[in-house]
Amino acid sequence: MRGLLAVILLLGCIGPAASAEVIVHLSDSAGHAVHDAIVTLTPDAGSAADAATAPRAPATHVIDQRNEAFVPYVQLLRPGDRVVFRNSDNTRHHVYSFAAIKTFEFVLRPGESSPELRMDAAGIAAVGCNIHDHMITYLFVTAAPATAMSDEGGHVALGQLAPGRYTVHVWHPQLHPGHPEPTRQIDIAGGSDTVHLAFTLSLMPDPRMSMDREHLDY
Amino acid sequence: MRTMGFRLRLALFFVATLVVVQLLTAALVYAVTRRALVAEGERQLTANAQAFVAQMDDISARVAGNVEVLSLDYALRSAIAERDRGTVLSVLRNHGRRVGASRMLLVGLDGTVEADTGSTVPTRARFPFPDLIDSAYDRRTAAVVAMDGKASWMVVVPIYAPQPVGLVVVNVPLDDALLTHMQQLSALPRDIELAAQAPSGSWHAVARGDRRSGLVEGATAGHRGLPWKPLLTEVDGKEYMVLAQRLKQPKQGDRVVAILGYSLDAALSPFRSVAIAWGALLGLGLCVGLLGAWLTARSVSRPIESLAATVRRIAAGDYRAAPELQRHDEIGQLASAFGTMTEAVRQRESRIRHQAMHDSVTDLPNRMAAEAVIDQALAAGESAGGALLMIGLTRAPEIVKTMGHALCDRLMRDSSERIRRIAGDSYLARTSDTQFTLWLASADRPAALAAAVRILDVLNEPYQETDLSIDRLPAVGIAMASSGEVPASSLLRHAEVAQFAASGSASALSFYDSATDPHRPERLSLMGDLREALDCNALSLHYQPKQDLASGRIDGAEALLRWQHPRRGWVSPETFIGMAEDTGNIQRVTRWVMASALAQARRWLEQGLPLRIAVNLSARDLEDTALPEHIGRLLAIHQVPSGQLTVEVTERAVIGEPDTALRTLRRLAGQGIGIAIDDFGVGQSTFAYLRHLPVNELKIDQMFVKHLATDANDQIIVRSIVELSHRLGYRVTAEGVEDQAAQDCLRSIGCDHAQGFFVARPMPADALTAFVAGHAAGLPIGSPS
Repeated sequence: MRGLLAVILLLGCIGPAASAEVIVHLSDSAGHAVHDAIVTLTPDAGSAADAATAPRAPATHVIDQRNEAFVPYVQLLRPGDRVVFRNSDNTRHHVYSFAAIKTFEFVLRPGESSPELRMDAAGIAAVGCNIHDHMITYLFVTAAPATAMSDEGGHVALGQLAPGRYTVHVWHPQLHPGHPEPTRQIDIAGGSDTVHLAFTLSLMPDPRMSMDREHLDY
Repeated sequence: MRTMGFRLRLALFFVATLVVVQLLTAALVYAVTRRALVAEGERQLTANAQAFVAQMDDISARVAGNVEVLSLDYALRSAIAERDRGTVLSVLRNHGRRVGASRMLLVGLDGTVEADTGSTVPTRARFPFPDLIDSAYDRRTAAVVAMDGKASWMVVVPIYAPQPVGLVVVNVPLDDALLTHMQQLSALPRDIELAAQAPSGSWHAVARGDRRSGLVEGATAGHRGLPWKPLLTEVDGKEYMVLAQRLKQPKQGDRVVAILGYSLDAALSPFRSVAIAWGALLGLGLCVGLLGAWLTARSVSRPIESLAATVRRIAAGDYRAAPELQRHDEIGQLASAFGTMTEAVRQRESRIRHQAMHDSVTDLPNRMAAEAVIDQALAAGESAGGALLMIGLTRAPEIVKTMGHALCDRLMRDSSERIRRIAGDSYLARTSDTQFTLWLASADRPAALAAAVRILDVLNEPYQETDLSIDRLPAVGIAMASSGEVPASSLLRHAEVAQFAASGSASALSFYDSATDPHRPERLSLMGDLREALDCNALSLHYQPKQDLASGRIDGAEALLRWQHPRRGWVSPETFIGMAEDTGNIQRVTRWVMASALAQARRWLEQGLPLRIAVNLSARDLEDTALPEHIGRLLAIHQVPSGQLTVEVTERAVIGEPDTALRTLRRLAGQGIGIAIDDFGVGQSTFAYLRHLPVNELKIDQMFVKHLATDANDQIIVRSIVELSHRLGYRVTAEGVEDQAAQDCLRSIGCDHAQGFFVARPMPADALTAFVAGHAAGLPIGSPS
């Protein structure tokens, strides 16, 4: 219940010397791989790695609504990226967000799509459906260059890293609210370092799984 | 203290048994009921504790459900998400009323209180139960918390918009009202209280049900731990079973438990009416039992008391039949047994009485009965006198010895039947083994004689049996009764005396004559007087002189005993000597006589009178083997030469006990004492016999001397005796010399001594002294010598 239970630092020497890499392995307390987690490496201030990354063109992400579920569950965005909600169900969806970075709501008829929403501020917006309580998706907006989402195997690989000291943040929608996010500082010494990190996350149940939160216990 | 009667004891025993049994039953029932109730109480308490927890869960689910519904409210979500505190507060209040919460809080994800309906000022304080917040995301979270002496039910529900944005905390006060409400809505027990632990460790009630029984104080009194298992204790003076039940609680805050109680008193109350009814029944049963016991006891003891009275009556000799008891139970049997026994006792007693009063052989009344009947007849004075016939069969003892008792019994029976034929209705009794007694009331002498003769006639016919004929030799003594003079016993004795007399006589018939009765009762008193007289020297000796016929001198004297009785006057020696012989007193008398005579002889010797003293010895004296020594001692004491003493014995005495008497006589003779045979001539002694005796002297009986002067035969006899005696070396003394002629005749015959009135009458010793002196002086001169 206290969140991060263990951090296992794996040190290895894999790959070319010029490109350091951090590979993060994520699992829950039951040992299952954790996907849909966002891992962010932030170079510490004054670090050599604290270099501005090259800007890239904004992208438009479509959040589909199929079978009364948002797809994907977590969408990583860069500030300035756009997002569109598409209703692929044959029911209405009332998409809303009270997030600080973006507040919106639309009622989408079947087959309808929302207008593009431009996400300028970094942060997390939880988006739900007021009609279907179990529907939820997260828009993770970050400017940090070394950010990636874990795959089905629970792995996150972040490469092209300059040597220096970094802070590793892990975020997952089912982390316990009110608890501090799992964080770890690592040092990348050489350009060809491959740093393996393992996080065991304490996760709450997937809210999407419960069809009716009102009768959770029944 | 008076002993309890049988009736009372029986009744008390019944009642006591009833009471004891009832009380034991009551105690048993109470114990069993109580144990059952305690077990039931334990079961109920455990079940109730679980039910209470379940109900709390129920309430929390309901409250949580309500809050969850609330949390899905879009407006609330937006208000919370947008941190619109005013809206949030109003929504919380609104919903708080719906779920019955006294206070609702909005707690942020970081655990700070963002809104609180209980306080208008935003505090941003930390929510005091963080573990409730933590678990709220995972599961429904509700707990009892206690703060500041109050308990409340706290339900924590996270708010999703759509991700968690905060938590609503619902605070439902757990107060008396809620507890009462819960009790009313459910089957919860009436006795339930919540207790919180103060920081000091003591427990105090924070909420009580409607009973307000003080369970908390009762259960935790005496610094016991909390009763996690059912515990029997006392609450407010009533018996309770108490059980503490843990409640869901956060880590922080005071500890709170529910304490459930099960009142044994209340549980027993349904039994109270049963107990009252039972008590009434017991009382009624007691009364009925007492009454019944009393009646039963009375029906038992009444007849027993009556039987006891009857038995006392029987003991007193009243054999009247006991009152009949118409019962067939044990007492009836007892009464009937008593009746039988009484009859048996009565018959036995009458038989014993009959045996006591009757002779078993002849079935005639016995002597006692006869005495009683005759006494009665005499006392009643029915007749002036009467005759008592004593019929003795003198041969009876002999018949028994030779023929045996059986035959004698048959003979007596036959005799009684024969007498009965003569006697008719007169009273006939068998007064001894050999004697019958016939009482002829108002019979006079001739009638009695006639009856006696007839009886003798019938009894003289021999008793006949096969080859046997026995003579009975009856004798009849008749005593005439003059009315009221003598008792029957005396009359019987008289008749018996007469019968003894008759059995020796030829006619076998004799009337009682008191003058000749040797067995008069005064004899016995006379003997007593005689002993007294011996002791008091009331006897005296007279001396009859003996004259030497040849010289005419008085040279001896016979000592003769004289008794002047203080009341009777002069008592004849014949009377009391015979009695003394019969009663064994003669030896004392003889010794007294001997001592007195020798003392006198001594005095005469001193006076120059060497008189030869003769003392009579009885036949009994001769049996006294110590007599010769005694006489020897007396002679020595009085310094009298033994030749001065002569003892006189009768022929009969010598003949009766020849051996002992002879020995005694020989020893006396050996001592030099003269032996004289008294009353010679009337007995059966012969000279041939006398030759064996150490005899010195014969005294011719006065029968031959009295008429000596005139009777030629007597002269011949006396002459022969004297001559023969002289030839045999005996001196001869003639007794009963009463005249000159006899004296002359005796002198002429050659008799040695004369004794009799003509010589001198017996006289006191002093008179004799004078007489001897005078006689010596006045000796007829020239009297033949």
